[in-house]
Amino acid sequence: MGNLTVTMTDAEGGTHTFSDVEEGVSLMELGRRNGVAGIMGDCGGGCACATCHVYVDERWWDKVGAPDDVEFAMLDMVADVMKDTSRLGCQVRMSPQLDGLAVTVAPASGY
Amino acid sequence: MAGHRPLFHNPKNKTGHRPGQDDRTDMATQISQGQAFQDRVSQRQPLTPEQQQLLAEGSLADTAIQARPREFYAAMRHGDPIHYDAKLGSWLVTRHEDISAVQSDPVTFSVQHGYSEQQARGMRDEFEAYLREHGGGYFPDAIMSDPPYHTRVRKLMERAFTAHRVKELEPRITEVVRGVIAEAVAKGGGQCDAVKDIAIPLTIRVIVEQLGLDHGMEAQISRWSVAVTAQIGAMQTRETMLENAAQIAELQQYLIARMKACEENPGEDMISDLVHAEVTNADGTTEKLTFAEAVSLVRATLIAGNDTTATAIGNLFHVLATRPGMADLLESVVDDERQLNRFIEEHLRSAPPVRALSRMTTREVTVNGTTIPAHAHMLLVYGSGNDDESVFPEPRAFDITRPNLGRHVAFGGGPHRCIGLALARMEVKVAAREIVRQMRDIRFAIPESDIRYTRSVATHTIESLPITFEKRVG
Repeated sequence: MGNLTVTMTDAEGGTHTFSDVEEGVSLMELGRRNGVAGIMGDCGGGCACATCHVYVDERWWDKVGAPDDVEFAMLDMVADVMKDTSRLGCQVRMSPQLDGLAVTVAPASGY
Repeated sequence: MAGHRPLFHNPKNKTGHRPGQDDRTDMATQISQGQAFQDRVSQRQPLTPEQQQLLAEGSLADTAIQARPREFYAAMRHGDPIHYDAKLGSWLVTRHEDISAVQSDPVTFSVQHGYSEQQARGMRDEFEAYLREHGGGYFPDAIMSDPPYHTRVRKLMERAFTAHRVKELEPRITEVVRGVIAEAVAKGGGQCDAVKDIAIPLTIRVIVEQLGLDHGMEAQISRWSVAVTAQIGAMQTRETMLENAAQIAELQQYLIARMKACEENPGEDMISDLVHAEVTNADGTTEKLTFAEAVSLVRATLIAGNDTTATAIGNLFHVLATRPGMADLLESVVDDERQLNRFIEEHLRSAPPVRALSRMTTREVTVNGTTIPAHAHMLLVYGSGNDDESVFPEPRAFDITRPNLGRHVAFGGGPHRCIGLALARMEVKVAAREIVRQMRDIRFAIPESDIRYTRSVATHTIESLPITFEKRVG
């Protein structure tokens, strides 16, 4: 059990606050373990499928940081729902600097 | 090879459960996530008399339909999206939304049963007995399994195939691919076989390096791959089943010898990693893989990554030679990483190498209004899902600007989504780049009607593709 806090707004609008998150856990792992709607993590955290896409709360963007080129290439495959604050949950790992982080699960890429 | 890192750094890592797979808590999670199967019914469209006749008389078991299945797919998708193909004995799932829904529920729709039933269909006992006698054993595919077992095995394999690790391999893969294409060009006369001289040896050389196997075995590994891949959907007679079983037995004997050697003297390769690998259980305890499991995983890694990726590269040559504007389009994006990635993804959508994979129902279930009995065989028809007009408007247009490219199902989806997807994308991308740099004006050396496809419902594989081309200078 950790002591970091993360708030996730899921794909259906529900809000989940987790206050016992361990350092090093990715947002994908956290969302999947807790059944947050819209976090699938099909590829298992390999930055290869874009099924753990989240929007980072703007106030946290500078601390979370921008995606690297590998992650950007994957986000580009869901360009219709990509925003300036998009990240793949599997690539964001919790640290004390991110204590209190808030993210919203992105909707699935469109039909 | 250089840059290879051990796959299994942290056997104590407990994170990353898949929903509904490890314990009761996770099962509750699965249901709250809406992943347990809930049926939705979508509208059927009226069919033309020709389409009605095609559905009544046609079957994916027919070779003519296998070679050019799009009209058959469209008739099913529009008018009878969960179509029972009586000749094949399978329920064909053809709409994108239904494929996605089925893949998200690995408990109701079992891969383990779907795969093992499809293997040597109708001759399974004989197949199994042959391998026990001649192949060192019968090794069920550990990865073609159901949760919770699958979850643990899958987690073990995932570390090897992350997009970042594959990115590190890109320089070396580029060297390998450049060499293979240069050899084909150097044969002279501006002709070669795009499948046998390029696509197949290229993908085999990449995976051989990853596994730490011997070089110079391309022909043998190619034969083995065909035999293993045949088990997921080829139409086998008893004679071809036995031929394939003999190839698989030889493959297993070879791998077992290599694995025993790696057990004693571990190297920096995936076989060494796998023979020493441990899986992590839900409670955090670890267990070593059994030798039989490890054999099945080494076999799967060797085979899964080469035949399908080679098919994608063979299909790339096919479209470059046949589709007006494709060669120019590829040339125009080849130095733009983002556009090239999009080109490759659209190619995989437009011509998925794996066009259908099996599932088996574990209970009676209604999918899009059609009730399927328990223990029924199903095929998720990816080739149709990728052409679903409701997801990809004008699906036959090759459009690299699609905003939802990532929705295609060429790699499947859900917990069984292709594990090697990042490596596959990378190999096809590097191949596309090197083709443009070394060749131009690619054309068929035989009439298009003479191109032969593997007789299979699972893959859409060109067996041989003689081409002519101009060598690109400078």
